[in-house]
Formats: sequence, C-alpha cells, structure tokens
Amino acid sequence: MNKNSLYKARAPILYALIISLVYCNALFAQNRQPTKITGTVGDANGPLQGVTITVKGTADSTISDNTGKYALSAKEDDVLIFSYIGFKTTEISIAGKTNINLTMADDATTLKEVTINAGYYTVRDKERTGSISKITSKDIEKQPVTNVLAAMQGRMAGVDITQTTGMPGGGYDIRIRGINSLRSAGNAPMFVVDGVPFASDAIGNVQTSTNIPTPTSPLNTLTPNDIESIEILKDADATAIYGSRGANGVVLITTKKGKTGKTQFTAAASTAVGTVTKFASLMNTEQYLAMRDQAFANDGISPIPDDAYDVNGTWDRNRYTDWQKELLGGTAEMHTLQASVSGGTAQTSFLISANSFTQGTVFPGAFKYKKGGAHVSLGHESIDKRFKISFSGTYDVQDNDQPSRDLTYTARSLAPNAPALYDAAGNLNWENATWDNPLATLYAKALAKTNSLLANTSLSYQLPYGFMAKGSFGFTDLKHEESRSNISTVNNPIYGVTSANSSIYFNDTNRKSWIAEPQLQWQKQFGTSKVDVLAGATYQNQVTDRLVQQGSGFASNSLLYNLASASTVRVLNNDEIVYRYQAFFGRVNYTQNDRYILNFTGRRDGSSRFGPGKQFSNFGAVGAAWIFSEEDFVKDKMKFLSFGKLRGSYGVAGNDQIGDYQFLDTYQSSTGVYDGSVGLTPIRLFNPNFSWESNKKLEAAIEAGFLNDRVFITASFYSNRSSNQLVGMPLPSTTGFSTMQTNLDATVENRGTELTMRTVNVKKKDFEWTTNFTISWSKNKLLEFPGLATSSYRNQYVIGQSINIVKLYHFAGVNPQTGVYEFEDVNGDGSITFADDAQTTRDLSPKYFGGLQNYVRYKNFQLDFLFQFVNQLNRNASSQYTAPGDFSNQPTSALGGWQQPGDIANTQIYTSGLNSDALNANDQFVNSDAGISEASYIRLKNIALTYSLPNMLKGLQCKLNVQAQNLFTITPYQDGDPEFRSFNYLPPLRIISFGAEIKF
Amino acid sequence: MKTIFNLKTMTSAFLLGIAILSLSACDSFVDVEQPNSQLTSDAIFNDYTTASAAMKDVYTKMRDGGLLTGKPVGLTHLLGLYADELQSYQSSASSAAPFYNNAVIPTHSYAQEIWITTYSQVYACNAVLKGAAASTALTADQKNQLTGEALFARALLHSYLAGVYGACPFITTTDYEQNLNVSRLPKSQIYTLCISDLEQARDLLPATYLSSSRTRPNKFAVSALLARLYLYSGRWAEASNEASAVLNQSAMYVWEPDLNKVFLKACTSTIWQFSAAGATGNTQEGALFIFNAGPPPVVALNSALYTVFEPGDLRKTAWTRTITNGPNTWRHVYKYKQGAGALPTAEQSIVLRLAEQYLIRAEARAQLGELTNAKQDLNFIRTNAGLPNTTAVTQSDVLDAILKERRVELFAEFGHRFFDLQRNAKLDVELSPVKPGWNTTDALWPVPESQLLINPNLLPQNAGY
Repeated sequence: MNKNSLYKARAPILYALIISLVYCNALFAQNRQPTKITGTVGDANGPLQGVTITVKGTADSTISDNTGKYALSAKEDDVLIFSYIGFKTTEISIAGKTNINLTMADDATTLKEVTINAGYYTVRDKERTGSISKITSKDIEKQPVTNVLAAMQGRMAGVDITQTTGMPGGGYDIRIRGINSLRSAGNAPMFVVDGVPFASDAIGNVQTSTNIPTPTSPLNTLTPNDIESIEILKDADATAIYGSRGANGVVLITTKKGKTGKTQFTAAASTAVGTVTKFASLMNTEQYLAMRDQAFANDGISPIPDDAYDVNGTWDRNRYTDWQKELLGGTAEMHTLQASVSGGTAQTSFLISANSFTQGTVFPGAFKYKKGGAHVSLGHESIDKRFKISFSGTYDVQDNDQPSRDLTYTARSLAPNAPALYDAAGNLNWENATWDNPLATLYAKALAKTNSLLANTSLSYQLPYGFMAKGSFGFTDLKHEESRSNISTVNNPIYGVTSANSSIYFNDTNRKSWIAEPQLQWQKQFGTSKVDVLAGATYQNQVTDRLVQQGSGFASNSLLYNLASASTVRVLNNDEIVYRYQAFFGRVNYTQNDRYILNFTGRRDGSSRFGPGKQFSNFGAVGAAWIFSEEDFVKDKMKFLSFGKLRGSYGVAGNDQIGDYQFLDTYQSSTGVYDGSVGLTPIRLFNPNFSWESNKKLEAAIEAGFLNDRVFITASFYSNRSSNQLVGMPLPSTTGFSTMQTNLDATVENRGTELTMRTVNVKKKDFEWTTNFTISWSKNKLLEFPGLATSSYRNQYVIGQSINIVKLYHFAGVNPQTGVYEFEDVNGDGSITFADDAQTTRDLSPKYFGGLQNYVRYKNFQLDFLFQFVNQLNRNASSQYTAPGDFSNQPTSALGGWQQPGDIANTQIYTSGLNSDALNANDQFVNSDAGISEASYIRLKNIALTYSLPNMLKGLQCKLNVQAQNLFTITPYQDGDPEFRSFNYLPPLRIISFGAEIKF
Repeated sequence: MKTIFNLKTMTSAFLLGIAILSLSACDSFVDVEQPNSQLTSDAIFNDYTTASAAMKDVYTKMRDGGLLTGKPVGLTHLLGLYADELQSYQSSASSAAPFYNNAVIPTHSYAQEIWITTYSQVYACNAVLKGAAASTALTADQKNQLTGEALFARALLHSYLAGVYGACPFITTTDYEQNLNVSRLPKSQIYTLCISDLEQARDLLPATYLSSSRTRPNKFAVSALLARLYLYSGRWAEASNEASAVLNQSAMYVWEPDLNKVFLKACTSTIWQFSAAGATGNTQEGALFIFNAGPPPVVALNSALYTVFEPGDLRKTAWTRTITNGPNTWRHVYKYKQGAGALPTAEQSIVLRLAEQYLIRAEARAQLGELTNAKQDLNFIRTNAGLPNTTAVTQSDVLDAILKERRVELFAEFGHRFFDLQRNAKLDVELSPVKPGWNTTDALWPVPESQLLINPNLLPQNAGY
C-alpha cells in the first residue's frame, strides 16, 4: 500500500476503531460476534476463481467465485488464510476490516508443495522418499489422444511407451525402467484407477481382435479428459506397498473430482484429422520389373511362368500405383465432444461429465471407432469434518468397427504394377482372377463393443488420538463383445463362393472384480517429530467369463451376425477364470524436524495364481530422505539453493503376471468335434512347484531447487535386480509343448539414470515461459544364469548383455563370385549355422529417451510443445521381406542386385524363388546385423496452441485451440515410422486437431 | 466424556474388525477351485467317456493340423507340390511356394509347424497310454481299446515324420525331462519301432469298428498300416500276409467298383477315415482342390500327372475335372467332390483304403517273385479303372507297372507319390526333368532350425540345408 491509499484507508480504519471500541465491552461480555467479510482475490492477470479462504483455527472456509469474489463470516480478530495451488499461501488478520482484497503472489516453489498420490497414502512432494513421476490434466488435455498411455509418452522419466498400432483403439506398450522379466508378457505395470486395480491384460481374443498385433486393451475404456492426474511409482519405496504386483511399477490414475464453489459448466468440441506419418521407400514399377526380369533370367526360367502375372504381360507393365498412398494414404477424421458440470457447497461437491469421440481410419472405406462415456464424482464431508465419503464412477461405451486385417503389409508388398482397384463400372476389379483385390478383404470386419463400469467408494472417519479409519471399496465390470467375420465376398465372385462358406468368430468376455481395502491410519506429532502409521488389508476377487464361438455356413451374408442362422456353431472356448488376491500391508513414516524422513512399507501377499503352499510371500522396502536445505548451514551460506533433498530406498517387490491356474495338471475341451462330440486335450506340461519371482530395487536421488525453485533438478539412479525368474521355459517340441512354467535361477539387472529439469524462464504478467526436460538412460543386463550354456535359452541370451538382445549373423557382403549374401563364419567350420555363427548381438532396448517440453504464454496465447526423443535400434525393412526377385515389392534398399561374377553389389542375386542358396542366404540376411538399423528419432510429439478469448460476457470464458500429435519426425530410419514393436502394422498417425472450449 | 468413550469403542471395534478379517480369511481366500472348463488328468482317465474324448482329440488334431490334414499345411498339399502331382498358383511369396519350388529352408514356417504339431500329437498319444495304464476305473477291454488306438496313432505319426525328415526322435513318454534332449534315430529304426507298436496294437484292438462310420481304427486298420510299413521296410512276406489279412475280410471290406463312390463317407472299401468336423461340412482336401473358375486360386493338378493316365483310364475322368476360361485350361483333383461350405457331410477324409492294400500285396508278391499273383492284384485295380491287364512280364517291369499304377490310383493322398519315389531311389530321375529347383538333397526336408537350436542333440541338420 502506498501512502496515498494508506491515507485514503485511514477513514474507514478510524471508523472501525471507534466501532470496535464501542463494542469492546459488549464483545467481552457476550462473546465476539462474527461479521461478514467480503472481498476480491486475484493475481497479476485478474480475478482468481477457486481460492480457498479459511478462518485460521476453524473449519470455516469458502472459495472465491469466477469473478474472484468471496464472502464469509469471521470474528474481527480472526486471521484469514488464502490458499491456492501455484500461489504463495497468505495470511491476513481481519483486524476489524470487512472488506479484504488480495493480489496473490505466484509461488514458483509450490510444485514441491504439490501432494502426490502414492496409492494408499498421499505425501507432499517435498517430503516424499520414493520415486514418483506425475502428470496432470494440464498436460493431458493438450493432447488429441484417446489412450491414457499416449498422453504420458515422452513426459515421464524412466517410462518408455511405444504405440503398437495406429488402428483406432489400438494398444500401447509400456515399460517402466526396462524389462525385468524374461517373460515378454510379464513386464506390464500395475494399473490402479481411483484405488481400484484395473486389469490391463488383454480382453480381446487374437481370433477376433481388431488391433492386431495387440489384442484389445481394456485401457481404452479410460477417457483421458476424465483424468485429473497420473502418478507412476517406480522405486521400491513407492511400489513395495503393492507387493507382488509392484515389480514393474505402478500407474495410479486419479479421475477428476468436483470443486466447491459456484456451479460451473464446461463444454468443448474438437475435430481432428490423422494421417500416416511416414511411408517406407519402395521400388516403383520400372525398378520392380527390372528386378523381376533379372530374377527369371538368373533362374534360367524361360518362358515366364503363367502365374507370374506381373512380369508376363498379364498385368500392364507400364502401370504404377503407390500402394501405400492408395491403401494407407487416407485421412482419419476424429470428432470429440465433452461437457461437464461441477460445483458444490462446503460439505458436498460434485462433478458430472460426459464425452463422445469418433475416429475414422486411414484405410479406404467407412470404418469408425466410436466411444462415449460419463463420469460422476461425488464428495461429502460432515460438518465437523470427521467423516468423509467420496464416490467416483465411470461408465464407458466403445463401438469399434474396423477391417479385420491391417492393410499395411499388403500396401508394402503388393507389386507396383498390380491392377486397378475398381473396374470401369466402379466394381471391385479382379483382373480375370489374377489377384486378390485388397479392398475385398475390407468386407471382412472386426467389430468390438465394450462397456465398462468402474466405481469406487472411499470412506474415512477421524477417530481420536490421531487415528483415522478408512475403507476403500471398488467394483469394475467390463463387458466386451467382439467378432471377426470371414465373409464369402472377400473372394473373387467367379469362384462361386457363397454365404455357405462365410464364417464368423465371436468373443464375449465379461470381467467383474471387486476389491475391499479396510485401513487404519495413525498420525501423531511429538515435538519436532511426526509419525504416520498405516495398516490395511486387501481382498480382491476377479472373475473373467469368456465365450468364444465360431459360426459357419449361412443362408445369406446378411444373417452373418446371427449365430442362430449358422449351419454349424462351434464353441471354441467357454470358461470362467477366477483370480483371488489377498494382502496385508503397512507403512510407518517418521519425520524429524521436517528434514529427516524414514519410510517403511511392507506387504504380505497371497495369490491364487500359485499352487498350494506357494501362495504367500512377503515384500517390503525402506526409504529415507534428508531435506538438507532445511539445515542452517544451507539456509545461511547457500542462499541460491532454495530446496535440496537427498533420498534413497531399497526393497523387494514381486510379480504374479503368469496367468491363472498354471499349476494345475488338467485337460480342457478341445475346439474340434470328432464323431459328433468334442474332444479333450492336455493343456500344459505340469509343474506345481513354481513360485514368486522377486524384484529388488535400489534407488538414490537428489532433488535441488535454485533461485527460489525457478530451476528445479531431480537426478535419480537406480539398480533393480529381478531373480527367481518365472518363465515359460522354451522346450523342444518333442516334449509335446513349446514352454513350461518354471522358476529360473537367472538374475536380470536394470540400471539407469533419470534426469528431470524444470525451469521457469520468464514469469511476467503478459509473458510466461517454462521448460521441462527429462532424459532417461537405462541398461539391462543378464547378470547370472546358471546352466545357460546347456539350457534352451542359450541361443537367445548372453550373460553380461541385455535380455532384449537379438543374436545375429554378421553380414559380410555379397560374394562377388556367387552373388549370394555371405556371413562371418565365426567358428570357421565352413558352414554357417545359427548356433555357432550368429554371435553378433544388438540390443533393441532404447539407450536413452526423453522429452523437452516448453510452455509459453503471451497475453491470451498459450503454446505448449513437446519434443520426444529416443535413441534406439530397430529392425529395418530388409529384415522383413522375402528374397528380392520374388513376386513382392521390395524396399529401395534392395535395388542393384548382383548380376555376374565380379560384380560388387549391395543386394544379392535376384531369384524368382528357385535359387535355394539365395533363399537360404536371404533367410540368414534377415537374421543378420544388416537387418538392424539406427531407428532413433526426435519427434515433435505434441504441440498445442491455445487462445483465450477476452471476456466478452461476464463470467464466460472461451478458448480456441489447435493441437497436433507427431507433427514431424527427424530420423535416419528409412523404412517408415521408427516407432513400432512389430513391423508391417499401421504406425502411429499424425493428428492435427482444432477445438474450442467454453466455461461459465 | 461420553462422546469420547463412544469413539474409543468405535476405534476398538474397527481394530478388532481388521484383526478378525485378517485371521478368518487367511489362507482359504486365495484357494480357488479348478475352473469349470478343465478336468484333471486323473479324472479324465477314470471315466471311459472322457478318456475316449482324449483319444478322439488326437484324431481331431491330426485331421485339423500337421502331417495328415487336408489343409494347406498337410502332406497331401505340400508333398503334392513338392513332387509332381500339383501345380501352385499361389503367390511366390506364399508359404507353400518354397515347397513347389523345392526351396524349403530350415526356418520355413510350414516345415516347423509340421514338426511341432506332430510331436504335440505324439504327446497326446503318450498321455493316453499313460492315463490308461494308470487308471484304476477302466476295464481291461477299455484299456486295450485306448492303448491300441494310441499305439496305432503314435506309429502312424512317426512313420510319416521319418518319411519327410528322415532320422527323427521316437517319443514314447510324456516325461519332459526325457524328451528334452532326445536324439534322432535312423529311419529304419523308426520303422522297426512303429512296426513293434503296431504289432501290439493289432493284438489289443477288436476286429469290429466302434462305429459304423469307421472313424476309429480297428484291428484291420492297424494291419493295413502294418502292411505298408512292412513293405517300406522290405519285409515282403509279412507285407503280403498283412495285406491279405485285410483283403480277406471280404464281408467287412466290400470293394466299391464305382469310382465316383470310392470317396463317399459310407464307402465299404474304406479302412479308416477321419470323422467330419461337425454335422455339416466335408473334407479339407475338397475345399483345397476344387475350383469352379480359372485361373486356380490355390493349386491345380500338375500336367505332368495328367498326361500319365493311360487312354481310357476311368480315373482320369472320375477323379479329375477340367476348368476352362477362354483359351486357358486347368484341372483339379476331384476325388472328393464336395468343396468348402457348410453342406451336409457326404465325404470324410479317408486315410487308409482297400486299393492301397491290393497294390501293397502286388508289390510284395512281385518282390517275392510271385509275379502271377502280383499281376492279379495289379489287374484287379486296372480292371476297375477300365484298363486292360498289364503287359509287364519281367519282375522289374511288373514293379514299374505297380509303381505307375500307384501314381494314378493314390495321387493327392498323403504324398504317396513322393514316398514311392523316395523308397525306390527314383526322386532324382523322375523329378529333375520337371522340377527346375530339384536337388538330390531335397529328398528330405530340413529339421526346423528352432528345434536344432533348442536341442543340439538333433544335429546334424539334414544334408543340403
């Protein structure tokens, strides 16, 4: 306040003084009377909504409305506390005033004041002992994505996420701090939504799933817009309380909750277009036919065989079609609509939201992925604030209509002079039955309908002596129906294939689970120390019902979706899988002088996935933190250091992702009928003795804030070792099976460093710029594996190397005399065999990856962009094609085939498929180091520009935005998009979205 | 004070509650019952119906995958392409193309799949043998039935494995520790072991069929296979006798003279056939071979085979069919007349039939020097096909005539042509002129590389790979 205002304020102050003096006696005599205090709260930009104003020492509080105004009753000697995330908490004594206005000051340090959800408990970021990464709705809502995992890509240290297909509703692969398990299926983290474990294992059946290569993932049922925050628990301190299920990390998803205050309406809509990011470089007709002609010449085949339609003139030798453009070059349209209402009183708050989403595909044809859902959140607390209850429920419906086959492989292999898709009359062209028109395969559809209900209620009651009783109860119900048709019209009509040949697969999966988690918490302050104790139990029951059926032979294709119309119906699978899980867990947290923190967590787990006597196991961890910036020597001598913390943890978590009933020696119904009845088939090699694998995690980290936390750095180092590996041990098929469930005495180590840096570069009224940078290095190593040399794994792993290596031949070029690929004969025995000569290894895990995110605001414009970078190797196109010369297009890297002795060529002699030496050499080439390329990339993963319209009407906020995903990619990789787990499937799309949002 | 007391009570009650929950539910909560879709091995073999279902499943698996299936992965298709019976119209990038081009490599998916599925079928046979032996509830007759069938199936599978891979492991137990490091046995030894299995099975199985559809093997199905393996092993007298044992059952095996009815499901010259996969639907072979317009979508009859039929051979018209499209002509195998689709079952895949027994006996008798008797058997087949008696006189001429007759009688049935050339060392002579990719070492397929890697005792790889 300047002098003037002080002077101006003098009159009311004097007036107030007089009044108070007058009332003084009365106050002392009959208790002080509360008066109504009003005012406006704002920041540099104007009024602030949602600021909590509390009367110190009481439970009375209110929240500022959307014009920043508030009103509450307080006594004149009370103190008001103004608090709001992102701003410094301010205390103001009423001192008789009735109108208190405040301009709140930004607080760069508040990020460490942020509360982190650690699952069973919450912890202030500043005081946490574990390694937890977090993103919030602010990051999520800027991305035009439909899967929560997509929203996390590139934003979290140590979290490696790869999109496995660009098909709508498709899956993502997530690895937190590398691969711990030799089982490929055993590396998924645990997902928990609002406290309810969410089974992420596929619900789809490979027979019916749309999203080849990954069967439908249930995570699609979560709508990113409903999510408030995602926390990832990484080290032992954070994950051990999840015991057996924490080994691969835990992903905690918290949905949005209602906020006390004026009822607020929000509506948003956006439209987006998606296209394939990058096509592979393939041969054109001229190059292709030159290769084919040469191939037949090399094989001495003349005349050209009847069925070589591409070469013998049956197909126009001058025709050229870019099949990638033709089949994958479409634009996928997306539309999103969202609306929500929220609000509440001091005791009760609510949020109701609804959303709908549709997405087309880049394939030709009218395919649609539709999704819609509603989310409800209710919160209530008693007037004395002892009792609290909250409920959140999400219902989500998905309807996915996709072609049953991904056309990527076809687009990359179809001869470039293959005929036109349509004839002159506009019908599918079959070119006298010389090809399978790829569009015909689109008649076969894969449909999926998923309904998902997720509900959670948590109750707490504050008991005396610092005790709090809590209970959390969750229920999930997932209903998934999918079908994949094999309709007769995919065939050329001249063959007279009729609906009697049509068939269809149906898969109905229902998964229901409940969980109950009673807990008791005790918090107590003893002088300068604080103790926080938590004890609880978990009971979880999950039942999955599955019915897979096949119907074949229909009177008409229009009856295809009616099983009753099928002349033959076979039940391929009908079972009920029960998974039960029980645990007792606890946590003891001790804090001394706000700077020394010890955190013990433990869990005893039992799982029905293990045989009798092997069901239970113990897990636990200890974590410690020292906030050295609280020490006097730092406070006095190192003023530039605004925050400093050292933390470390060590502990054991486990993994029970092995599937159910693996310990039973059983037969099950076979899929086939014989003599009118269904047979019984042995399921597995029987081993009742396998038990828990364990994952020991060690972490050390330093967190430091400089210049009032405008620069904040976290560096963590971890070393995780998983042992007693539970694997499906590969067996020679002479045993009848290809694997057997067993524990291996192998130890795998994941070591890594994660660095995150956040800087507030500029923070002014009209201009704001912050930067977030994360980078993670990780190294995987097989430490020990007794008996590896004689085990069935000997050709897969090498001690001292990553478990994600591939063993390869070493490519030695094209032999100038024979024209065939050559490889290093490592043992010099004159023959090339995999066991002896495939000794070159390549690690396909990323060496390092991370992201650089910038947020810039200038007046009403906000720009947010994220560069994601990955340093990795991956398979290239030459490892995916048949021998060059075949009736299949080839990447341009296969140009320049060897022709005659003396030629120095990059590609071996072309063959039409008769030259066994060349075929064999190509097969080795595919498995050689020449089949692996640098596939590192830097990608503008996300960019979002938002413009907030100046307030036109009072209380109306309006925002316009343009967002883009995968806008451009810088990569040396030649063969399409470098982000994939399996080649020849639709890669991630480039998505550009336009949207608007209003709030009032 | 009163309130606090109440809260205290609540606290205690809550703590007690947790304690009770913790104790009461301790171990039993995570014990789950076995799923309703599964039965334990013990339970399976304590009931004849379920034990039979386990045995029937072996046949189901053989019908639907591996060596004997009529699907593209089976020997009928692949050996037909590999030898000179079928011509491929599939893209040269298809899985079947390397078989047609005689350019199979050790990592080829079909070569692997056949090995893997066949040994899993062998495991299922051994599981039935083990279960039947250990069962306390089955009668002696029931045990004999199951044991006999399992031995028969095990021998059948191994005999084909030895045919395509040469030396291979012979698996007689379900114990994975024994099967983990097995070595390959020479083909002759495999045949000896198969013969021993079959001799046991012959004594265990009854003469009558379990059902009129002849979908479960009886004593004579065993004899029919035994006759073949005696023949392949050069045990001529036993081959002749064993074939006679089948042919003498003239009441049961009534010769079907109508070529168009030989492959119907009720044909009385069938010795053993696979059951159909359901109430409707016909054979996989029919679905694979038959096409109604050209060019052929998958395979056609190889013209090398079509030209071998002697003039007037009724089999040429009854068992093949010509499709034309303008100037182009193609032919397909037409033994089974029903193609794909859910039509009522008229045909089932026939594994063993009477004609082969006549030709086995003819060959065995010719080898024994009983040329008259040999020619009598041969002429029986020829007469039925509308052909005059053979003109062969010398032993070698008669043997050649029998071999030729086998080619036109047994074409497109489980690779007879290939095995006949192989056992007579005529692969190179016959196939080199018509198969540009043919090499001497193509006589055997490569053992799947994945299997050699996982069990080095299977080394060395077959020559040429």
